[in-house]
Amino acid sequence: MLPRQPAKLLRLHFSEQDGYDGIPLHDAIAKACMDLGIAGMTVFRGMEGYGESAELRRRRILAHDQPVVVTVVESAGNIERLLLQIEKMLDTGMIAISDVEAIRVQNGEIQK
Amino acid sequence: MLSRGAAKKVTIYVNEDTRHHMDALWSAVLRFLRHKHVAGATVLRPVAGFGAHEVIHSLGEEVRAEHMPMRIEFIESAEKVDELLPTLYEMVEDGVIEVQDTHVVKAVTKGRNPAPHSPRAEVKGPAKMIRIFLGEADRLNGEPLFEAIVKRLMMMEVAGATVYRGILGYGAKRHTHKEARFRISKDAPIMISVVDAATRLDEILDAIAPMMQDGLIVISDVDVHRFVHSLPAQESTHASAPTG
Repeated sequence: MLPRQPAKLLRLHFSEQDGYDGIPLHDAIAKACMDLGIAGMTVFRGMEGYGESAELRRRRILAHDQPVVVTVVESAGNIERLLLQIEKMLDTGMIAISDVEAIRVQNGEIQK
Repeated sequence: MLSRGAAKKVTIYVNEDTRHHMDALWSAVLRFLRHKHVAGATVLRPVAGFGAHEVIHSLGEEVRAEHMPMRIEFIESAEKVDELLPTLYEMVEDGVIEVQDTHVVKAVTKGRNPAPHSPRAEVKGPAKMIRIFLGEADRLNGEPLFEAIVKRLMMMEVAGATVYRGILGYGAKRHTHKEARFRISKDAPIMISVVDAATRLDEILDAIAPMMQDGLIVISDVDVHRFVHSLPAQESTHASAPTG
């Protein structure tokens, strides 16, 4: 069995239109993750969705207003540190955290 | 019906003009195999050959084109082969019967799927979700890594996999993948999500992890409700015994 470490999976759901400090929110969160030394993060764009405002968010011809999901896998401690930052940045949206096990592969080697 | 895994390959060498009662022996063997519902059999006619009589029979020269060797091949489960062999032994009075151990990688029949309107089955229970994070530009032996992983999962008959492309991200390689407007990025972050029974988890991880150079594999517990029209015998056993 491959070595696995317990970790947390953090998912943030918000809109692509959301911003923070003059830049798109997902860019701001990416920057915050890097500043905090978070190992990695990925932003996905959904096709369609709705949330707190109960307005359907979908792609228009020019404007992008689709749902966005930010995914971060990190140790419980680092997720805790990141959350303190994100709570200040996220206006409306959803934060979900789940327990996972992680295998990190770096330069073809499994990190223990 | 032939299934994946260990099997036996039987090759029978006979003479083209050897008779079995009123028929050519190769034809009698073929009909016997069909009668016994063997998954499939092939009769091959070689270009040249020689047998116990040490005379070379060749298609090229008319005089020697008589007594051409014929080869009958089929693959079946060990039990089935065991059942057939005594009769084949009795039938082939002049020739060679050979049995080899083999491994069936793929055995599928097209167009035999149940009709889409057949009642669907629901597979419920605890399962494992695997998320694999990698880069779109990652390659394995010249092909995109995410495609190689999905192909591998398909070959392993893993229940299902979905590939997502992210718009922004960074990870093991510490460089940002960012989507530019009006241009399709060639190195977007990719996530493959896979769900299957917990019993298959280690097998899947052992196959996928060595394919990756840099990346992250994340495992979590999920409950599945799967709706399917067809349930291969192999899969139904997985679903009925999903240990948590």
